[in-house]
Amino acid sequence: MNAVPAESAVPVAAYSAVFCGGSGSGALSRSLQNGQSALGSRSLIELPFDCPVGMVPGELPPLRESLQNFNCRNARLALAALNQPDDGVRSAVEAAAGRWGAERVGVVIGTSTSGLYESEEAYRLLVSEGHMPDDFNFLTRHAYQATARYLQLELGLRGPCYAVSTACSSGAKAIAAAQRLILNGVCDAVLTGGVDTLCGLTLRGFHSLGLIAESVCRPMDAQRNGINIGEAAGLLLLQKPGSAGDAAPCIVSVGESSDAHHMSSPHPGGEGAILAMRSALQGARLQPAAIDYLNLHATATPVNDLVEARAVFSVFGDRVPVSGTKGITGHTLGAAGAIEAIIGLLVLRHQIIPGTAGLQTLEPECHCQVVRQTRTGVRLRTVMSNSFGFGGNNASLIAAMAE
Amino acid sequence: MRMNPGIKGYAICREENGWPDIPGIDTIAVDRKLLPAALRRRSSLCTRMAVSAAVAACEQAGVRRESLVSVFASVGGEIQVTDDLCRELPDTQALISPTRFHNSVHNTTAGYWSILNCCQAPTTAIASVTDVFAIGLLEAWSQLMQGVTDILLVCYDERWPHYLAPPVGEIALAAAFVLSSEAPATGQYSISVPALRERDGSGSGQVDEMIRKAPVAACLPLLQALQAGRKQMRIALGIDPLCWHVDLYKVAGHDRNL
Repeated sequence: MNAVPAESAVPVAAYSAVFCGGSGSGALSRSLQNGQSALGSRSLIELPFDCPVGMVPGELPPLRESLQNFNCRNARLALAALNQPDDGVRSAVEAAAGRWGAERVGVVIGTSTSGLYESEEAYRLLVSEGHMPDDFNFLTRHAYQATARYLQLELGLRGPCYAVSTACSSGAKAIAAAQRLILNGVCDAVLTGGVDTLCGLTLRGFHSLGLIAESVCRPMDAQRNGINIGEAAGLLLLQKPGSAGDAAPCIVSVGESSDAHHMSSPHPGGEGAILAMRSALQGARLQPAAIDYLNLHATATPVNDLVEARAVFSVFGDRVPVSGTKGITGHTLGAAGAIEAIIGLLVLRHQIIPGTAGLQTLEPECHCQVVRQTRTGVRLRTVMSNSFGFGGNNASLIAAMAE
Repeated sequence: MRMNPGIKGYAICREENGWPDIPGIDTIAVDRKLLPAALRRRSSLCTRMAVSAAVAACEQAGVRRESLVSVFASVGGEIQVTDDLCRELPDTQALISPTRFHNSVHNTTAGYWSILNCCQAPTTAIASVTDVFAIGLLEAWSQLMQGVTDILLVCYDERWPHYLAPPVGEIALAAAFVLSSEAPATGQYSISVPALRERDGSGSGQVDEMIRKAPVAACLPLLQALQAGRKQMRIALGIDPLCWHVDLYKVAGHDRNL
């Protein structure tokens, strides 16, 4: 049952993802189908504790000579996603710039730490020798906007370019901002998504909060004991309605809200999460029953998963199949909202419901219809993805098949 | 249809003891009492400046803070907290303060604002460099176009350590605007959507110098025009040769479509 798509629906012309399980949407699809986690012990960072992380394997592509001042792992992750040949994001952006003009194509990228990984190295020199490295460039590597600006210059675009940085909801909020720029006629296309790199600050900071798991994470499990942090780049090219072909899936709406409760703990009643999900439904002019699958935020911390389970149950009851996929990708922080929006698009493309990797015994107070093993042969038209971040910053995104 | 939002209120907060006088700009000081003690202890100077400007702009606008959608735009956000943490990280055994960690995110000010005002409306934190104020206006306008009635835009940056990106970070400031999709009343202002074009005219040397030190100071020419009561003016929101501009209109008694 699906109503006429909301006027807000914006087609996705191309998308790609790079994550710990591999590069390209094909690699992500395979991981969702086989439920295999690629979280492991290899790490970029020396840590005073053991934990699995989701590090992107292999060499990342180098930045071109003229853009070396942007060179950092975050920019290279973004370039890797841009260049995936089978996903065609680069060619789609170039086609959009050719069709509408470079000034009509924007870039809005979510990130939580941008090029902080390289800054941590630079600070080691600062602390030991009293100065930054000669090639240190804060504004083109560490600043939040650096990866968005890099992509803009790499692609020769001239539209609005900025970063959204609302912690773990950044990727979803960037997509929301990109959608608005198109609906308002400021841009004809926007390259959007989220990119985040593993770094010492996030790993050690979450560890101080007692939220890092020492083993592979178990979303919605009764024995869950915390997060595995991952890195990723998820890019999507949104275009103006009617311009991306009949088969292109759509971002229909993004509901946003604030908990107004605490910087790092969710509202105990899940009020912000409920508001975000209801706002997304309202923006899409859909009833809860129209949602065929919900990708949970489900970071596998004891408190967050419980609050989300209650919030989802209060909006959807047990009718909607839900799952958490951070046992596959890790929690990719500022990229998570984009990676999980892309998971939603892959769910629609392949007509599968991914299982919840790491789940063994369901949290007894979770009464939602949590999917354990990947289901195939399902029929799905409309999906939702939840992203909740520090500061009580919430976003719920609805994606749908083309009509 | 493109709408020109009305400006319902605005305020600019100066750094404690550090604000050079700008002709034609009235500034306010940080109001420490706005934040309850628990939040005040944990908050940075930039959060206190942003909150002070935001409260004053909301009071001028007469809007309810507990239901107001907001946009926070900043180049570096919580750079002092982040810098402290980065200096601790080379000691691989050091325990990172959990409070300082969650206070290092870019949406820290946005989060504290929502907590302070018990406001569950959406808030976002965006970043750019030379065009950070223009991008903040664009994001706020974009939300007004999608059905939001009133929106708070706060642009702010604090002082940065000298080794990061000098001269950026040599001054701190916070400015707040309440923008509205409702037609402005007589004597109030509306502004156009920011548009990119070659820089129009030359700015004042003093303001240009401040923009080099704090890109959010690109809001100062707009504030000068508002405080001077200009009837109509095109304003460059930056110092790059190609930069964003807005047109400012004062609503006259008998004609709202100047």
